[in-house]
This record gives sequence, structure tokens and C-alpha cells, in this order.
Amino acid sequence: MKITVVRSGGIAGISTSWEVTIDDRDDRDSWIGLIEQLPWGTAARTRAEPDRYSYRIRCARRQVTLAEQQLTGPWRELVERVQDAAG
Amino acid sequence: MRGSSDPGQIHIRRIGAAIATGRIGVAPSSMSCFIVPPYLLERLANLDDPRFERAAAAARASRTLDDPFRSARVQERPGARQAQRVPREPIARRTLEPPLRTIYDAGNTESLPGRVVRKEGGPAGDDQSVTEAYDGLGRTHELFRLAYSRASIDDNNLPLDASVHYGRDYDNAFWNGTQMVFGDGDGTVFRGFTSSLSVIGHELTHGVTQYSANLEYRGQSGALNESISDVFGALVEQRALRQGAAEASWLIGAGLFTDQVQGVALRSMMAPGTAYDDDVLGKDPQPATMSGYRETEDDNGGVHLNSGIPNHAFYLAAIELGGNAWERAGQIWYDTITGSLPETADFSVFAGRTADAAAARYGADSVERRAVAAAWRKVGVT
Repeated sequence: MKITVVRSGGIAGISTSWEVTIDDRDDRDSWIGLIEQLPWGTAARTRAEPDRYSYRIRCARRQVTLAEQQLTGPWRELVERVQDAAG
Repeated sequence: MRGSSDPGQIHIRRIGAAIATGRIGVAPSSMSCFIVPPYLLERLANLDDPRFERAAAAARASRTLDDPFRSARVQERPGARQAQRVPREPIARRTLEPPLRTIYDAGNTESLPGRVVRKEGGPAGDDQSVTEAYDGLGRTHELFRLAYSRASIDDNNLPLDASVHYGRDYDNAFWNGTQMVFGDGDGTVFRGFTSSLSVIGHELTHGVTQYSANLEYRGQSGALNESISDVFGALVEQRALRQGAAEASWLIGAGLFTDQVQGVALRSMMAPGTAYDDDVLGKDPQPATMSGYRETEDDNGGVHLNSGIPNHAFYLAAIELGGNAWERAGQIWYDTITGSLPETADFSVFAGRTADAAAARYGADSVERRAVAAAWRKVGVT
């Protein structure tokens, strides 16, 4: 299973993406635990703040787009983990 | 403004000189309206010339005391947190006060605003980011005040707050609805975001847009919101450097990239799509004309991407008109965003409104209106 994070926007408007495949990883179970507890599909669209980042997170058939201000709690944990794992 | 041969300007300068030398008094009462009419007070208050500092200050003081609408306006907008449109008011009723800046240090956290490190009039310290933010806010406030008679970003003398050192290695700067926020950059791709005056101007202009046209930050209206920030960000820098349209770089965020990046800036209004071409970052993706317009879901529908098109239209109009871009071209764009522009305006609606604004200020058959209409045609917006 692949997890992809695409960060777009920011004043520079430069998109960056990070990707991790968890199937063969030793810590596979903890990734799945984190993914399952995420509130997929419940993120409401907020009023966009100028020049903030926008995060698109995709995992198998699930996808969510979050404003930077919404990237808190387990969402932030997931994104930082993907960024670290992707190097 | 200096060296102007405009007869009206000379007339104002004579009166300004008379006030400065005490030959004409500017009494802070309604009587002063008979001595110096309100429109002259307005222009005097805005004179960007140290020789008339005293006259300008006197004119400002006079208008400040004669402003019965001010307290009512403050009550209308408690906190002013949310985007609100400000009704246009008679010019003589508005006060134009100097900036009231506060710079905070977020201490590399994401808590805002952070610790106060410099207040208005306070001395510069050792922290370069604080100095750059303070000076940049001042330059931006000055462009809007002196070129367009706008009293701070809300046109009601809103204090200007900015936080520096936000987050860790944070590669961004933004306006959060109430204040500006600047990251230090990661040091590999980006330097600190206060190092570019056009970036500081860009962020503050998001505040101006919020309080005027309030363009929805999505799709074409979002790209216009972005472009307006680039336009006035560039104009802040050009005015500070005393560069005419022909001499200016028309770059946004020049010098933000470290030496390791193949690129000169974040964007180019003169040649969108040419600001950087780097093996890690890729190539500047901005289109200059509608033939390169791209639909995307990312970045709120490509607001930083398609803004290249209205950016280039402004550049073309400014180059055609020549001289200082903040004067006629900037005035037309300023009139457009403070007019009755819909919040969901697309490129076509905006283009029409700029031509209308040029006609209203300079005449239907003016070179200004023709230059604006030709610029939009060249970028393919009809």
C-alpha cells in the first residue's frame, strides 16, 4: 500500500510530493493503525487563507485535501511520518 | 512625483511652501476648509517630499480632528477579524495616519503572534528579520498612503502586526486574516522570507484585498487575488528603489533562493515561466497568456499558477504607459479593487473593470484606457 502526500501552494506556489510504500516495512502495522484511526472523509472545507499550503493525502482509494491549518493531530503525524520515511 | 510639471502639483507645492513658512495657517477647525480646501489638504498630506514635511503633517492633523465618521467606523468592525468590505467614503473625511507597527518573534514555534520585539518608533536591534519586517511594512504602508491615499490595509488605520521566525525551517510567508507571518526558510532552498520587499508587500496586499474586493481564494478569482498581491508587492519595491517601469526587474521574491538553486525569484511578471529552472524544484510553471492556462485541483485551483496571466497584463500596461508604474497603471488597478468588483470575478470581468476604471479616471478615449485594453488582448483575455 502506498501513501502519497502532495503539498501545494505557499507563496512560492511550488508543489512537493512525498511517497512511502508500507507493505515491506517492519513498522507496517503501526502505519496501518495510524491510517485506520484517521477521520477520512470528514474534513470540512475551510475558508482558504492566502499563501497557506494545501495538502492532498492519498492512500489506496482514500483521499483527502486539507488546508495547512487543518493539518493537526493524527493528520500531522501521518504527514510528518511520510516526509521522514520518504527522506 | 518629484520633478512633476503638472500645474496642479506646482499649485499645491506653492501652498505647501506657504504653510511650511507660516504664511498660511492650517487651523484645525472647519474654518480651515475655506483656507485650504479638503482636496488640497488631502494632496498636501500625501506630498512625498521632505521639504513639505511640516505642511503635510499640519494637513494631516487638520483632517484627523475633522473626522466625525471615524468612531462610527470603528464600532462597525469590532476586531475586524473577518473579511469585510469597506464602504467608500468622501475623501475629505478619511484620516491618513502614519503606520503603527508591531513586530513579534514567534521563536521558531507555530504560536502566534509571539513575543513583542519592536514597536512603532522603537530602535532597530540586531535581528535582521525584525528590521526587514519593520522596514518592509513601513514601505508598503507608505505606497498605499502616499500613492493611493489609503489609510493602512483596511483604509481605517489598522495597526500592522507581523511575526518573524515562525515554525522550524518554514519555507513560507502568509497573511492569516489579521497579521503577516514570515518563516526563516530551510537554508538549503530558501533564505528567510523577510529578505524580499516584494514578498512583504505581497503579504500586506492580501490584507488590502481582504478589506476591499475580497476576491474568493479559488480558481480565477483566487489567481486575481494572488496577482493583485504580486502587482502591489512589485510596486512597493519599485517605489522604494525609485525605479520606473522600464528599469524595474518585475520579479517577485528576488534573492529568496539560496545560491544552490538555479533561479532568480519566485515569479517574473515580465516573463512568467522564467523565474527558475532547477533540477530539484523543476521549472517555473507560470503561463503568460491564456493559451497556457491550466486547470488544477492543487493550490486552491492553481492560484499561484494562473496569476501569471493577469501579472503579465499589468506589466504590459505599465510598460506601454511608461514612467512610474505605481502612478497610472497602479492607480487603475487600485481603483478596480476598491470599486464594485464582485468577489467571484474572473479574468474577463476583472479586465473589463480595469478598462472601466481607466476610462473613469483618465477618459474613455485616453491612452490609459487604450493601454489597459491592449494589454489584456495581448494575454488573450477578452
